[in-house]
Amino acid sequence: MSAVAAPGASAARLPGAGARPSRPRRWPARVVVLAVLVAITAWSWVAVDVDLAVIAHNFSNAQNTLVQLFQPDYSFFGETLQPLLETIQMAVIGTAVGCAVSLPLSFLASRATNPNGPLLGFVRTVMNVVRSIPDLLYASIFVTVVGTGALSGVLSLFLFNLGIMVKLISEALDGVDRGGQEAALASGATWLQADRAAMLPEVAPQYVSQTIYVLELNIRASTVIGLVGAGGLGMLIDRVRTFYQYHYLSLVILEILVLVLLLELLSSAVRKRLVR
Amino acid sequence: MSAAPTLVAPGRATTQDRPRKPANVTRKALWLVVVAVVVAAFWGVDISWGALWDMPGKLWHYLGLMFLPPAWSKLPDALSATMLSVAMAWFGTALGVVISFPLSLLATRGLAPVAVRWPLRAVFALLRAVPEVVIAVLMLSVTGLTAFTGALAIAIGSVGTLGKWGYEAFEAVDGGATEAATAAGASRAQVMRWGVWPNAAPEVLAFWLYRFEISVRASAILGLIGAGGIGKMLIDNIQFRVWDVVGILMIVVVVVTMLIDQISGTVRHRIITGRWEVPVVTALRRRSARAARLEASPSILEDDSRSGTVG
Amino acid sequence: MSGEQFEGAGLRTRTGAGIRFEHVNVTYPNGYQGLRDVSLTIEPGEMVAVVGLSGAGKSTLVRTINGLVPITSGEITVGDVSDGGPADGAAAGATYRLSALRGAAQRRLRSEVGMVFQSFNLARRTTVLNNVLVGRLHHTPTWRSLLGAWRADDVELAMQALERVEIVQKAYSNASELSGGQQQRVAIARTLAQQPRVILADEPVASLDPPTSHVVMRDLQRINADLGITVVVNLHFLDLARRYGQRMIGLRAGEVVYDGPAADADESTLEEIYGRSLTAEDVLDAPPAVLE
Ligand SMILES: Nc1ncnc2c1ncn2[C@@H]1O[C@H](COP(=O)(O)OP(=O)(O)O)[C@@H](O)[C@H]1O
Ligand SMILES: [Mg+2]
Repeated sequence: MSAVAAPGASAARLPGAGARPSRPRRWPARVVVLAVLVAITAWSWVAVDVDLAVIAHNFSNAQNTLVQLFQPDYSFFGETLQPLLETIQMAVIGTAVGCAVSLPLSFLASRATNPNGPLLGFVRTVMNVVRSIPDLLYASIFVTVVGTGALSGVLSLFLFNLGIMVKLISEALDGVDRGGQEAALASGATWLQADRAAMLPEVAPQYVSQTIYVLELNIRASTVIGLVGAGGLGMLIDRVRTFYQYHYLSLVILEILVLVLLLELLSSAVRKRLVR
Repeated sequence: MSAAPTLVAPGRATTQDRPRKPANVTRKALWLVVVAVVVAAFWGVDISWGALWDMPGKLWHYLGLMFLPPAWSKLPDALSATMLSVAMAWFGTALGVVISFPLSLLATRGLAPVAVRWPLRAVFALLRAVPEVVIAVLMLSVTGLTAFTGALAIAIGSVGTLGKWGYEAFEAVDGGATEAATAAGASRAQVMRWGVWPNAAPEVLAFWLYRFEISVRASAILGLIGAGGIGKMLIDNIQFRVWDVVGILMIVVVVVTMLIDQISGTVRHRIITGRWEVPVVTALRRRSARAARLEASPSILEDDSRSGTVG
Repeated sequence: MSGEQFEGAGLRTRTGAGIRFEHVNVTYPNGYQGLRDVSLTIEPGEMVAVVGLSGAGKSTLVRTINGLVPITSGEITVGDVSDGGPADGAAAGATYRLSALRGAAQRRLRSEVGMVFQSFNLARRTTVLNNVLVGRLHHTPTWRSLLGAWRADDVELAMQALERVEIVQKAYSNASELSGGQQQRVAIARTLAQQPRVILADEPVASLDPPTSHVVMRDLQRINADLGITVVVNLHFLDLARRYGQRMIGLRAGEVVYDGPAADADESTLEEIYGRSLTAEDVLDAPPAVLE
């Protein structure tokens, strides 16, 4: 009996070799998963009504539009300045107020800093709801309730920010080492005092970093919430579009691009320094 | 007064130099800049803040109109509109995956030359910088906005994020497996299939799902500017101030978004860790397991790091 | 309150408080009995070492004294524990009965009882000074503590506390930049800033190397001797307990199995407490033979 099985000598087995494991049967599960995915995709194909012909037809009718889109009219720049400024103002105000208000709420929404179970549950539920409503929907509603303009924009950004910040910061609090808090409580401090003195410093760097991130998101969001009337560049987009001024439209979009990219650069540079 | 012990040890009183409080000029300057920017924004923005006074009252009023009670009879319509939005999100994401996957491979260091990589990465960055809504507005202008073009807008937006996440995941794969495959004489495609993909797959699959969660929100938003689905139904009812229908639509949006997040999050967890962890079930199971463990051995809360010395 | 609290530059501590356990039982929510019928009296100004195996109930014992662990039955008195009530009213501060202590009254007791933890329990991302000022929180109005606007008196007291543990140079460093021994001394300064009548230390040197352990134990010993603060310290290491404690309390399975002068405890007593023969792991510096 040879020690090493030569190719082809299929019957030869090493002495002492145990039974070979049978190949695990993973494929049935995989086939099922794949079938489900294909089925969902087929359903979505039908539901969104894929019709390439119509698209192609519309596209060929839009020669003029396309030409204009690729030739931004820079003389329009002066008129975009005011909306551009408003966009930035809305983002700054929304971020400032949203992040300020979210700080105490985050402490109420973390198990580590809020010993009151029912209150904790309530705050978390409300914040989950607040977070699952998109910014543009807030904007549409506020525009109807308080009228078009920057106030609607600021209010929707504010709620949008609350949702994000409270989630991020309360999760950060959940992960913080609670030794300092225990010591403060053991020295006779109230929960509020202990959270402020021992927990706040631990999340402060993350808080600053997330605030910058939220500012970045807000600049992005505040360029578009104007589409439903909530002030800023979005309102301008809506206006030039309804008048088919596509060479203006492309300029505005170009500005948004530059603004967002600039802020992204700034934000990632600052955040990199913060997280030492 | 003098007989009582002081905190300061006798004889050692204040011989030690106390440090001077650091000035922290940069920090103060930064604060000043931040405050100045915020104040300037408040000052300059065209808002009459007085309008905020009757906000709470108004808000209360409108919340009452929306939810006391919501128009339950519209629930079936709302649900079918939601299905369209979800379909839009799914189709857009799927298309985005199909397009971005090969592109992100071509943007990965070690798999493609610089001349291919950098232009691709620039395209991804550009696509990420444009909000989906803006893409949709362009679509609206060129091809008209339908559920299908909305899905296309989502697909284009997805390519930006998925492309970036993809090449980052591929590059994060530990070099060892790649090297081993290369050393065994594998071709580039084989290295990819057997060296990189097995390691990156769970993460990449999870990203696809996560992107689907984002797309669900995006598709509701695109509806608001005309792409159909729940967003369209919402904006129509908001404009005609049919508040009780708006109420039911909001409920549906919130519930469906949360539900999809939960399901997708659970599946992502399964993909990454290989274990199912269904939120409610897990919470219950964990509670009973904890109780059982405490019964068996009460010392699990032992905080003593030296418990190994117990004889 | 004003009678027991001192203000201004001539900061003094209060005299040490006594602690009395009367038939104290602690049952944890899971039904495990942490303490069984513990009765003992610690005189004001005593330095007591509590020893026992891991899981014997040492932490439980000290944590009942400031109410971090609630007692199930019996009574703990902190303050005047002399028989027949206060001898002369001027002498001591308030006296607390733990069994019914909640809320504000409990916080007031805690402000008079400092605690030192095994893992230091500092807020690592803020300054040493801010950490020591945590000891002043009880005496600071909420708005001040929220704004971080500490009173000048409190800052002075914190500085003095840091001077006492000889680490004042680090006042404005971040706690995370300090070594383990330095962090534990900051933690001791934090309790000193409370102007406590009792200091509880739960295995304060278990995370430190031997030389640093001695520095920290000497700090506690000096605080006890100079300031008359009652000190109760849990120790895993028997040599430290014998060297730094005046009195030793031995715990086993939640029961007091030894209570006497630390110096009198010989190897057989310790083996009795531990329920097994001693090993090199039970002492900090040397094999058990050195105990004799
Ligand atoms: N919160 C708690 N819940 C349940 N059991 C506990 C809890 N804390 C401590 N115990 C148990 O009580 C016993 C004594 O614990 P502890 O006082 O921490 O011991 P030591 O400090 O002497 O090591 C241990 O068996 C421990 O598991
Ligand atoms: Mg312990």
